Amino acid sequence: MIFNFSRRLLLSIFAIAVIIPTSIVVLGTFKSDFEIYSKPLALPKSFSFNNLKALFDTGNISTPFKNSVIVSIGSVFFTLLFATLAAYAISRMFNITGKVLFFLFSLGLAIPGQVNIVPIYTLFVKLHLTNSLIGLILVNIALNLPLSIFILTAFLKDLPKEMFEVASIDGAGHWRVYRSIALPLARPAVGATAIFLFVICWNDLLYPLMLINEQSKKTLPLTLIDFRGEFATSYSMLFTAIMVASVPMVVMYLFMQKQFQSGLTAGAVKG
Amino acid sequence: MSLPALLIYSFLYLYPSIQNLLYSFTRWDGVTKPQYIGFRNFTYMLSNDVLFRKILGNNIKFTLFVVIFQTAFSLIFAIFLAKNSKGNIFFRTLFFFPTILSSVSVGLMWTFLYNPNYGFLNAAFKAIGLDNLAVNWLGDSRYSLLAVAITQVWFHTGQMVVIYVAGLQQIPQELYEAAEVDGATRWQQFKSVTWPMALPTTAVVVAYTTIQSFRAFDLIYSMTQGGPLNSSDLLVTNIFNLAFVGYKFGYAAAQTIFLVIMILLITWLQRRTLKIDYGVKS
Amino acid sequence: MKINKNQIGLVAALVTALVISPLTIARAADTPTLGRACSAEGANTGTSTDSLVCKSVGGKLIWQKVRLGANYGTPVSALRAPKGTIEFHHWRPEDKAVFQTIIDKFQDANPGTTINQVIMSSVDYTNLAYSKINTNKKAAVFVTSRGGQFDQFYKGGLLKDISDQRYMKQNVIQSALTPATVSGKVYGLPYQSLFNNPIYNADMFAKNGWKVPTTWTQLLSFCKTAKSAGIIPFAWPAATRGNAGQILNSFLMNADSNYATMAAHVAAIDTGKEDLQTDWFKSIANKYKAMNDAGCFPANVTGYNDTAAPADFAAGKAAIYPTGSFGISTVTKLNPAMSGKIKMFGMITTDSKPLYEGITNNTFILSVNAKASSTDQKIANAFISWLATPAMAQLYAVGTSQHVSIINVDYSANVDLLNVSDIMGKKLLLAPRFLFNNVNGVRNPLEDALIAIGGGADVNKTLADTSKTIKSNLGA
Repeated sequence: MIFNFSRRLLLSIFAIAVIIPTSIVVLGTFKSDFEIYSKPLALPKSFSFNNLKALFDTGNISTPFKNSVIVSIGSVFFTLLFATLAAYAISRMFNITGKVLFFLFSLGLAIPGQVNIVPIYTLFVKLHLTNSLIGLILVNIALNLPLSIFILTAFLKDLPKEMFEVASIDGAGHWRVYRSIALPLARPAVGATAIFLFVICWNDLLYPLMLINEQSKKTLPLTLIDFRGEFATSYSMLFTAIMVASVPMVVMYLFMQKQFQSGLTAGAVKG
Repeated sequence: MSLPALLIYSFLYLYPSIQNLLYSFTRWDGVTKPQYIGFRNFTYMLSNDVLFRKILGNNIKFTLFVVIFQTAFSLIFAIFLAKNSKGNIFFRTLFFFPTILSSVSVGLMWTFLYNPNYGFLNAAFKAIGLDNLAVNWLGDSRYSLLAVAITQVWFHTGQMVVIYVAGLQQIPQELYEAAEVDGATRWQQFKSVTWPMALPTTAVVVAYTTIQSFRAFDLIYSMTQGGPLNSSDLLVTNIFNLAFVGYKFGYAAAQTIFLVIMILLITWLQRRTLKIDYGVKS
Repeated sequence: MKINKNQIGLVAALVTALVISPLTIARAADTPTLGRACSAEGANTGTSTDSLVCKSVGGKLIWQKVRLGANYGTPVSALRAPKGTIEFHHWRPEDKAVFQTIIDKFQDANPGTTINQVIMSSVDYTNLAYSKINTNKKAAVFVTSRGGQFDQFYKGGLLKDISDQRYMKQNVIQSALTPATVSGKVYGLPYQSLFNNPIYNADMFAKNGWKVPTTWTQLLSFCKTAKSAGIIPFAWPAATRGNAGQILNSFLMNADSNYATMAAHVAAIDTGKEDLQTDWFKSIANKYKAMNDAGCFPANVTGYNDTAAPADFAAGKAAIYPTGSFGISTVTKLNPAMSGKIKMFGMITTDSKPLYEGITNNTFILSVNAKASSTDQKIANAFISWLATPAMAQLYAVGTSQHVSIINVDYSANVDLLNVSDIMGKKLLLAPRFLFNNVNGVRNPLEDALIAIGGGADVNKTLADTSKTIKSNLGA
């Protein structure tokens, strides 16, 4: 009895806690700065589409949107490609090399990305990789390899040995095994990690800020900057930009929930 | 096979990190040439830097709070939502929603909520008569760290709920049925079945939450910038400040090394106590 | 002797004449006319080539023709740019559209030349601009803020010497060049002329019959008056350090009987030779406490940020918004009805005769990247000369509601700029807050302490703690 009551109560409280801030942003898209500040939770006086119009007119949102898509998809694809290769290799290496490699990659989990900004920037300048989408993709790959390898290695390690041994007895080389056994089996983990990584790359602000100079190469989060003025922030435009930037994430999330959630647990749970 | 990953990673991640390591032995303002000063940065950090000690304290308090509450809440919610009913799936989805938002967005949303005079939080507290809970959240050095910690928990609990649900769903039903036959209460069932069987999941949740909490840079940057009076400064934000506002890249690098070692130590300790296996042995 | 009517009349006339003439002379002094006497040394009538300034000539204060530029010449037109593309780095997203208009005109006048704006928000710009620009040769024209950032770029060898450029000598108000001058050479053009003084709702003051405070006692009593009328006296954005620190300028300008003493105290604190707990700084801290005690600030002021403060001012809930002329456009954007109602006053924090009546600052220093290619440097220089023409400067000023340091700019198209122009006629001090060079180690903790004290924290304890932090920051 108590259990059911407290269950309902706690769940509702947290649900409200999620809905309230979200509605401030959603409703704020249709309000003016003034309205947002004075009545953040009220329904907009008039559902004005001014903000959206302004964003699309002056923000020129189609180019950043396109760039974000290119960078995110590119980063995710290559990160997963390299990560699955590395994870497979490590999970099959039952010696000290495997352990060392794994440790090396895990080190990356402990190092926050922000602290490497200056060395990476100086390096990229020498390589002429600044102001390029490819440069961003490379940085994203490097930053996300640790987590991906961590999850995928644990998942692959979890699979019964026999599945792989059967294939090698049959004479298949590593590449065959990787392609025809490991990859298909790892699909849930890969799928979920993919979505996970996509969110990270889509929302990344600091590295694009440092590396991109040209309007034509801006990513979506950089448009948020345009509304954080020197002495005051235009919350109405900011919220509108956040909404527009989040829509693809939300859509993707709604359609691919199962993979999202199952993938997170992959490698997390020892059955 | 792991070559491409290794290449990119070493080049773009390890190499800059090693550079950082080298910088930590220098005094460098980012403009003139770095000056080698040996271990002075480290000795100073550990003995004379009052601010460093305060920030370290902040970080430990923050991580403890986040780990304990995020783990506890996600476990509780997971237990509530373990069955795959439509209602449960709805709640799980709703709770997961904050995770896909960018941290800057989350920071800005919550800055709004925390406004001491007009924000929703304090308005709600006053409306139900809990006036003394309506404090100056982000502006009072006693509460700012707590405020950011609460936001961090809000941000990531949903993610951990999902992990826990998967872990709980793996526990064989027979164990519960056997316990019920034995007359065990819900609490006893939790103690003897749920908790031990979910231990591996708990370990992962704790480890991941810890690492996340050490990296909460974006959130603090957009909410308090470390203030007031460094009360919500974490190691990460202080490092950024030292480097880019104080032009002390060498000292910032030294603190980075400290941070990395600390994270590694903590995760290693957690591994030992919760006995989980990240390794590659079969 | 019998006093007859005529004699009385004569005496009366004499007395009247004796009384009236000084008044007439005084009134004549109020309307600035070339060659006539004036009363306030340093006051000036504007920033045009035909403006007047009150100067001491042979011991008498007389209106003279103002010499704003290096000579009495008129502004020169812009240089032509060679073909090419460069980047213009700055921190004002809110000025993006206006700059683009100016750039479009520049590109029309110089076909084959392109300029791309690269904008970061001001916090990010302060943190990351040096790293970004130092290794980017294409960032041929960029801005730095006065003080620490300018010094950093100078040390890094990124600033080209433009002292000898004609537009620098004839188009720019020379006194504005101080922040960009090192050892007699000028390394940039401080474009924005800011007035970091509180703005007030003149309409509200008129309706309530309030007078603008001109002494410290009047200020505190004004707070009590406004508060009892249900109005927030000072909408002080204490939660955002950058904005909260603006009033420190006003506290410093009249902290001593002469400038040198104040500057010496600041330098001593900046280098750790003077502690915050000594009388000098403590008296400033106590004034913050006094303002809090008098109810000048809203409740929970340390949680009151730069969204809440201008919003309350724009909504008519606050009487004064103590940041500066740069806050005007924010307020009018929030509530267009405020346009025309905003005026500015100098915040006097002393009861004795004030040394200065207000603060001014020159920042947004435009520089040519000394590491760019020579063609790109020429383009950058031409672009700066373009911005330095009165027509373009006026476009920028009126469009962004900011004053600029260019001669012959007419602000009348923007009523709010016009309404605060009277502060230019007062004795102004270049913002002393920027005399603190050690921003991260000294100025930030110091400002945080004042914010805490303004929010009600204990003066002695806060200063003691901050003193410890500063000592340890300076030791690293």
